[in-house]
Amino acid sequence: MKNFSEHKTLWQRNLWDRFMVALLTFSTIMVMLPLLIIIGYVVVNGISALNWDLFTQELGSPARAMQGKSTGLIHTMLGTAVVDLLAIIIAAPVGLGAGIMLSEYPDHKLNPILRVINDTLNGMPAILKGLLAFALIVKPMGTFSGLSGGFALAFVMIPIIARSTESALMSIPWSIREAGLAIGLPRWRVVLSTVMPAARTGLVTGFLIAFARAAGEAAPLMFTSFGNNYLPNHWTGMILGPVDTLPQRLYSLAISPYKEWHELGWAAGIVLLGFVVTLFIIARMLTREKNYD
Amino acid sequence: MNPLNKTFNLILLSVIILFIAGCSNGRSSEERRAERKDRVELQGAGASFPAPLITAMADEYRQITNRRVTVNYQSIGSGGGIRQFVEQTIMFGMSEAFLSDEIMSEIESKTEGRAFNMPVTLADVVVTYNIPGIEKGLVFDGELLVDIYMERVTKWDDPKIAELNPGKDLPSLPITVVHRSDGSGTTNLFTSYLSRVSEEWKSKIGYGTSINWPAGVGGNGNEGVAGAVMNTPGAIGYNSFSYALLNDMSFGYIVNSSGNTIKPSFEATTEAADINLPDDTRILFTNTPAPEGYPIAGFAWMLVYENLEKNKAVGNRQQAEELIEFIIWSITDGQDFSEELGYARLPEAAIEKNINMIKQVKWEGEPIGMEILKSNELI
Repeated sequence: MKNFSEHKTLWQRNLWDRFMVALLTFSTIMVMLPLLIIIGYVVVNGISALNWDLFTQELGSPARAMQGKSTGLIHTMLGTAVVDLLAIIIAAPVGLGAGIMLSEYPDHKLNPILRVINDTLNGMPAILKGLLAFALIVKPMGTFSGLSGGFALAFVMIPIIARSTESALMSIPWSIREAGLAIGLPRWRVVLSTVMPAARTGLVTGFLIAFARAAGEAAPLMFTSFGNNYLPNHWTGMILGPVDTLPQRLYSLAISPYKEWHELGWAAGIVLLGFVVTLFIIARMLTREKNYD
Repeated sequence: MNPLNKTFNLILLSVIILFIAGCSNGRSSEERRAERKDRVELQGAGASFPAPLITAMADEYRQITNRRVTVNYQSIGSGGGIRQFVEQTIMFGMSEAFLSDEIMSEIESKTEGRAFNMPVTLADVVVTYNIPGIEKGLVFDGELLVDIYMERVTKWDDPKIAELNPGKDLPSLPITVVHRSDGSGTTNLFTSYLSRVSEEWKSKIGYGTSINWPAGVGGNGNEGVAGAVMNTPGAIGYNSFSYALLNDMSFGYIVNSSGNTIKPSFEATTEAADINLPDDTRILFTNTPAPEGYPIAGFAWMLVYENLEKNKAVGNRQQAEELIEFIIWSITDGQDFSEELGYARLPEAAIEKNINMIKQVKWEGEPIGMEILKSNELI
């Protein structure tokens, strides 16, 4: 309050106002700057490696790249799509269920424990989730597989989806639930038919954040989906056999000793960025306007 | 239909279309189905050093089998390769160190059969240096290298160096010692050589994939050591031969145990392994007794179970048979890729031992290794 009494004249207040706006603009730019630098750097370095082969050929050996033969990452892109899709299919119902439980049944006995477990799972290093999937799926199956990669990524997604579902549902006023209960609907029906549709924007956004977060994870995939230099021979090989994924391939390309593979790695970076950005744009388009129909 | 469903369908559809586009090559679907039926994928993983060779072999093998057999090799390091081999998540492992007695007996008690260490290629380590005015070909012997790495010889014009290099104009430059800072098969070979030539090194420092160095600066990976050597006048380090060749580094010649000065070459490395090998090929032959052999060399092994059905990663007999076919091809015709990729060929002695081991590979008691060797007319 002291400030306001000091700046009595209009021009003083104006000046103060401008200064604050400038400060906020500066902060906003500082938030966006790292993102812009990353995108710019990846695009500048990778754009020269983008070509038709990248989207049609398999990787094969480093000798291929060094001898200038055609090499690409088609198997990696398809693998990423399959593993991420498997992960969201596994994670969505579980995460959604936990979120509904936390928000709609606040006095349930299990909730305090569930909340702690969920936060622990969220904070746990992703590589441990890969280890869990290794012990649960890879070892008994006797092979690395896209399915185990899907599970590992699902463990990354579940706590995020649970949390975002909880807060999306919480933001819906209680009066809406009361209206449903007043006309005699059972509680689950109220949640399903009134609360969830009203919270759709928040729910979808939560899914997409979880999806994008998991899509960039390399660590949990190292000992689950493992990597592959080729497309599998059968389509089931994508699920039951080792598959390649963009973040993991990007890592192995980057640490390889070959200049040609480093370039390929930058190109993989562009593709992964494009993949995630496209997802967010789709999310924006889906959730705009749709909120109050 | 709401837009969410529409988009999901669209994504699903495009994935399917892309996938079909990737698989089809213009033949009838029946033909393709018949072909796909006997397609096989073989999974392997391990050492990074032989990875370029093995994956190039895999590329070629896929081509000559008309995409019928795909060998997927992932480079995760020797330690990882051994680990996943024991965990039975891969059909074959690859390592620059042979399996220890402990692991061998663990596998024997678990699978009622042995694990075979089959050499597929050779690793060789050269001494690299950066002395202004001196190209490759400086001569070293084991004792001198021990002295340098223990910092008892600290200048390039030391009489011990001059004695081995008469007529070379050695500068009075201090020596900077460079070694690997990460665990590596290259370090294992180099320190094993130093341990073989010097009792003192053996008892005080020993050998392994990473050791406590008495002196020097560390570099991460082949490229780390190479970078430090190339940027420091007076530096000495060690690199795998193929890396030194690829990056045009100066490397030294080594006096071997027979007193011959050996210029590093693929032939000299192959020669080094052409000795009396034990039946299981588990041997380190640094400081080789072979008179024309290069003394800092060793095998890279492929790890395979004797009873293939006991390896959970091998799903059926067909996969087991194709695995054996690939191993046989890689130690015979596959060796032709060695030189152009910077590897030395396997010597006859190692191929012989390999064939003996393959003979004993079984599937549910049936000697399928023997059968396949016969059909390849190798026995």
